[in-house]
Amino acid sequence: MTRWLALPGVPPLLALLALLGLWHLAATFFGYNFFPTPGAVFKTLPALFGEAEAAANIAASVKRMLAGFALALAVAVPLGLMMGRSPLVAKLVKPLVATIYPVPKAALMPIIMLWLGIGDAAKIFVIFIGASLPLLQHSFGGALAVDQKLIWSAQAMGLGPVKRLFAVVLPSALPEVMIGCRVGIIMALIVMVSSEMIARQSGVGNLLFNSADMALYDTVYAMIVVIAAIGFVADVAFEFVRRRLTFWAEIHQDPLVPSA
Amino acid sequence: MIAIEGLSKTFETSGGEPHLALDGISIDIPKGQFLSILGPSGCGKSTLLYIVGGFVPASAGRIRVDGRAIAGPGPDRGPVFQEFALFPWKTVRGNVLYGLLQQGVPRDQAERRVSELLQMVHLSRYADFYPKELSGGMKQRVAIARTLAYDPAILLMDEPFGALDAHTRTKLQNELLSIWERDRKTVLFVTHSVEEAVYLSDRVMVMTPSPGRQKAVFDIDLPRPRIRAELLLNRRYQEYLIAIERLVQDGGEDEA
Repeated sequence: MTRWLALPGVPPLLALLALLGLWHLAATFFGYNFFPTPGAVFKTLPALFGEAEAAANIAASVKRMLAGFALALAVAVPLGLMMGRSPLVAKLVKPLVATIYPVPKAALMPIIMLWLGIGDAAKIFVIFIGASLPLLQHSFGGALAVDQKLIWSAQAMGLGPVKRLFAVVLPSALPEVMIGCRVGIIMALIVMVSSEMIARQSGVGNLLFNSADMALYDTVYAMIVVIAAIGFVADVAFEFVRRRLTFWAEIHQDPLVPSA
Repeated sequence: MIAIEGLSKTFETSGGEPHLALDGISIDIPKGQFLSILGPSGCGKSTLLYIVGGFVPASAGRIRVDGRAIAGPGPDRGPVFQEFALFPWKTVRGNVLYGLLQQGVPRDQAERRVSELLQMVHLSRYADFYPKELSGGMKQRVAIARTLAYDPAILLMDEPFGALDAHTRTKLQNELLSIWERDRKTVLFVTHSVEEAVYLSDRVMVMTPSPGRQKAVFDIDLPRPRIRAELLLNRRYQEYLIAIERLVQDGGEDEA
């Protein structure tokens, strides 16, 4: 009787429907104009994407998020791997990281805006900082945990230090680096939205706050749905990439994997 | 071919205390000899091997290979570790191929050599498997093939069969002997099994527990190729076992 419940995809779908149902009931019950029903919110979504300005805002946001993340990937991963293999590099970088780590990245925006303006550069930079920290931390941890005997085996084969970093340390640390990537991409999303809320010029964060100012509550909720969707797609994409890149690893760490 | 002179190693413990692990090891190992280094755990026998490999620096003394002082690791000394240390992201074939490509061997030539090696260690059918899909004995066969691939003059084997069950261990000992008898590489073989040391070696160096010093060196004068079933009844083999076993037991009580 309950066999259909065990079908893949059914439980998450039920959970989603329950959430939407609860939202609908609550919205109808309270009847506040700033608390639209899910139906009203989803009705504005096609219009939002049809609107050239809104679509351009969303595209601009995603572009900045990816640029900041790519930059973090290019800088933080090699740096983290080097920290894991060289105590000197670790000693040099650790104090810097420890200083920046606890600072909310949005708090850096005023200074960064003074230097880089309120355009793309400032936002990409702050996304880069935000996404770098988890990448750095996990690459560092992953490189620290590399089996010394793998390194020795590679040394005996004649691999020099730079080649070892990319041909042995990176693949060894990859399962851990990929966990950093998943955290990092979501950090990039969070910092992307908050940077746009501070330097309100374009993007989903800007659109969200402009709509709130104009009391367009359906649009406010729709923008939150859009941001959540960006995050969800980014996370699922990373999990997809991670499984394909680290299928050879002994253990699959699957924290909060969206059911595939 | 390997000359070890007055080799000592002092570690710093996590408490900051100096700890003497190896003390005044001196031994010459001629080309083509199979030498076992035998001792209880903690006697520094693996450390000695790592120093010869160039992976760990010595605190005093020197090591020369063919008259030249060693400076770091090199493809003339190939390690095989108890933990296999395979590249888990590469297939069996990829693991064995890697060192060859690294040495600049052209790809088609390297591929042919890998096929031969995999055949030699009976793993041709597993060429496309990943390490996590193999048993311990298979992993160690891959590791041996991977090291043999770049043709080091010296094999440094660090308790290579220590993590295997008794049956697999015996099988791999026999395979190692038949491989060794083919090209007679110089082998340094670390073990804590008296039986394994005597069965495989031309010479056995027995070490004292911490700090590791040379206690005695035995020349194992037994016919080759060695066949275990025949050796078991060989009087001289039995005497070696008894003499070395007594030596290892004597003074070993304060450890373990």
